[in-house]
Amino acid sequence: MNLYEHTIIAKQNFTKSQLDTIKNKYTNLIKKNNGELIKIEDWGLLNLSYKIAKNRKGNYLHFKLKGNGITIYELEKNEKIDNNLLRFLTVKVKKFDLEKNYFSDKKEEKEKNK
Amino acid sequence: MKKNFKGKKKKQSNFNKLSLFSPNKYNFKKKCPLSGKNAPEIDYKNIKLLKRYTTENGKILSSRITSISMKKQRALSNAIKRARILALI
Repeated sequence: MNLYEHTIIAKQNFTKSQLDTIKNKYTNLIKKNNGELIKIEDWGLLNLSYKIAKNRKGNYLHFKLKGNGITIYELEKNEKIDNNLLRFLTVKVKKFDLEKNYFSDKKEEKEKNK
Repeated sequence: MKKNFKGKKKKQSNFNKLSLFSPNKYNFKKKCPLSGKNAPEIDYKNIKLLKRYTTENGKILSSRITSISMKKQRALSNAIKRARILALI
């Protein structure tokens, strides 16, 4: 089993429920293919540094998962066809750092500190 | 010996003693800012760090300018390219 970080960018004009269906779709896919999901980070709507398919913003979802080559192959195969997504990126890592979140919402942090 | 030079270096400027004929025994090279104990970790998600080592147009700065070690420069350029795919930079 290897450790992977997987990020996908969905199109900008999605509602929350639509994003949840995307999230559920890929979490189920990971579980189906002997993968183990460790953490999901929702980075929210971020500005893209360049336009992708007429989108100026994108909804970022970040998965930290355990799995093998087949898991990643199945994931990327489905993401290539998916019209709702703009990009995806898989990075193999040796160790997860679960503490740092570079894109956490500032509002949430403030609430936590209160 | 090197440590002795460092002590001297702070007191007088490097350029005073330097002439064409005397051997250059002063170390002008800065240390690599990304290696060492408390150095920040290179990660494609850490945009703040990556932006420090790119130009305004998004080009990667050469290690000659930033004095990053060869090993870290390779890791850095890899991280910058990953961030470009995700349109973060």
